[in-house]
Amino acid sequence: MEIIITGLNHKSSDIFHREEVSKKILTKELRSKFIFDIKQLFNEEIGKQLIQESAIISTCNRAEFIFAVSGSSNNSNKNTDYAIIIKNIILRYLFGNNFENEELQSMFYIYKNFEAVRHFFIVTSSLDSMIIGEPQILGQIKESYNEACEFKNTGLILNKLFHKAFYCAKRVRTETKIAAAPVSISYAAVELAKKIFNDISNKKVLLLGTGEMGKIAAKHFIKQGVSEIFITNRTKEKAVKLAEELDGYDSKTIIDFNEYYKILTVADIVLCSTGAETYVIKYEDIQPIIKMRKQKPIFLIDISVPRNIDPEINKISNVYLFDIDDIGKIIENNLDVRQQEADFAEKITEEEAKDFMDWKNSLNAVPIIVNLRSKVNDILFTELRKYINNKDENIEAIANSITNKILHEPITKIKRSEIDFNGLNLMEAVKILFDLDLNIGSVSKENKETKKEILNCGDYSNDSSDSNNNNEKNDYYNNKIIQLNNKKS
Amino acid sequence: MIFKNYYFIPLALYVLSYAVLYFKKDNPYKSFIFFIYSAFIIQSAIIFIGLDKYHFTMIIPIDLMIFLNSWILMLIIILFELLYKAKYIVIYATPLVIAGLLISYFAPSADITAILRVDSWLLIAHIVLILAGDSLFTLAFILSLIYIFQERKLKLKKNLKIVNNSNNKSSNTKAGLFNLRKNFNYFNLGNGYNLELLDNMNYQCLKLGFPALTAGIVIGIYLSSALFKSMSSVKPIEIISFITWLIYAFLLHERVAKGLRGNKAALLSIAGFIMILLAVGFSFYLFPEFHGFK
Repeated sequence: MEIIITGLNHKSSDIFHREEVSKKILTKELRSKFIFDIKQLFNEEIGKQLIQESAIISTCNRAEFIFAVSGSSNNSNKNTDYAIIIKNIILRYLFGNNFENEELQSMFYIYKNFEAVRHFFIVTSSLDSMIIGEPQILGQIKESYNEACEFKNTGLILNKLFHKAFYCAKRVRTETKIAAAPVSISYAAVELAKKIFNDISNKKVLLLGTGEMGKIAAKHFIKQGVSEIFITNRTKEKAVKLAEELDGYDSKTIIDFNEYYKILTVADIVLCSTGAETYVIKYEDIQPIIKMRKQKPIFLIDISVPRNIDPEINKISNVYLFDIDDIGKIIENNLDVRQQEADFAEKITEEEAKDFMDWKNSLNAVPIIVNLRSKVNDILFTELRKYINNKDENIEAIANSITNKILHEPITKIKRSEIDFNGLNLMEAVKILFDLDLNIGSVSKENKETKKEILNCGDYSNDSSDSNNNNEKNDYYNNKIIQLNNKKS
Repeated sequence: MIFKNYYFIPLALYVLSYAVLYFKKDNPYKSFIFFIYSAFIIQSAIIFIGLDKYHFTMIIPIDLMIFLNSWILMLIIILFELLYKAKYIVIYATPLVIAGLLISYFAPSADITAILRVDSWLLIAHIVLILAGDSLFTLAFILSLIYIFQERKLKLKKNLKIVNNSNNKSSNTKAGLFNLRKNFNYFNLGNGYNLELLDNMNYQCLKLGFPALTAGIVIGIYLSSALFKSMSSVKPIEIISFITWLIYAFLLHERVAKGLRGNKAALLSIAGFIMILLAVGFSFYLFPEFHGFK
């Protein structure tokens, strides 16, 4: 099974291309259709149903597509490398026949297996974010995961990958000072506002749309003591809900979305984060408004992708517009301390990525272990029944217990054979020694429970304390996976 | 010792205050402002002694007049700094005071006797009002330059510092230009370095400077006519003063009536200041005869 990640982010591409991609996967329905179409196109190209699992990470700064593909491709051949095939299919889907354009090709990166896992952990831990250490990305990835589960696109590999990524992000946040320095988009927005206005406490804020980032920025401005906040959204209920969230703050007014431009004459700070595909605030809207404001400065922050405020507006005198890329660049130039912590955090992600790959590699041994276990169990059961006069259930329990005890060490060694005994193929040896059925697909339905058990208790009764910690972690994730699988089934 | 040699004491202290910014690594503001205040106190003492020498008649040599102008400018700078708690004003405006002190040192120091017949209080009023008005517009000019610079940074979104890394102990850079840059950032990131306050201070300068300039010009015209007994002859200084006055009158009108602010207001302030420079040039150096000094 190969893990493939392809996509683009704020480092590899500009906002125009990100906008283009974002528009194609803006809604849940579009994303669902996207995955369905990509799978179908891939099947047509390869002739086999190989994409087993998939997920889409879509934030303001990135659009990444994660796939778990059966088998392994030929890396040396461009035509049989699954990652390149998937990338080209996606590019063709998003940009039409222009997909071979060199600029587009360089914007879309590809990561495979270990690199993909490490990249995903780096992203989840907010080390690849525009603002290193910002907390929003974790929430966004959790949402993506929920959505992928809802579409029934995740399985054993991606379930584990996501949970491991969440664990890794938590480790990074607790073991490093990455989140200690107060630099985030909302912080930057407030600091930029302080460069324009002398006293924020007498300023009025208009929150246009109820996007997550806008919401956080609005809360940050409230903390700074702005005099009033106006909330508007196309769906009024969402605006009401947000107003309810701002429980301790009294000076809030919900206004009708069609009348927000009236507030532009009095609001000093405008936070825009709607899900609209086009400009909500246009150049020609602001020009008369700035005259009506008697040239009083207005600070516009566009946190949405695609952008909702016409960038040309920045050319108008006394109007200051910053979009997500502008703020990101400013923050990047202000982040010396976080960068040092990020280096340490990357080591954690690498460690976790290795851990995940070990687990993933151990999956190759599952069919052999299942067969071996089944064979030993059957022999024991048959032999014990000959000599012990007891109920079948009791004999089965004894057989299971002895099987577990006898096979624990060999199974652990087999699972770790690719890591601990580099080059020494224990699996092949076991197959020959016990004359096991070599067909992976031959694992019977009855044996599926055994397979789950193996995944669940891979390091059963390990005595060393270090390994116990790992066992706890593995048990936690394996249980989660089994729970999810049960739910799905 | 020639009296004007004393001008070097405040001059040296002002220069020293900038040296602090170059060499001092931690907490530069305290040392900087200590030297600035010390220099100002010494400058005040010198101006008091200088004016006392001429019995506060204001019929004083040009060098002392320029020295007085520098002192008024510094007084206004310090008052604005204290009033608006904007530390950066001192750092950016003091070089003009230093320039004024240097000019005063090289300016002629001959006594003026030609206008002794004029009522002394009117002359004092004329000089003090004109110098105060000019100083306020000088400060407005500096503030306008800072405004335009800062606005440009915000519009282009380049070199915008939002986090002060001056406390970053990991920095290995020892001293010199790095300190200077870091210390300037310290001032720029402090309270009050924002467009709204810069514009507001610019407006305050205009509101105070315009009546002072108007009154000063009116008294000046009256004195000129009384001195030369002819209202009809229009001198270049009067034309330039009138143009300067018109620029500031237009600026004030636009601000009050149409709410003009920001970039355009700053540009007009700069234009007005250039006219003041021309007027001063005409008054003292280029055509001294037109001011009645000769």
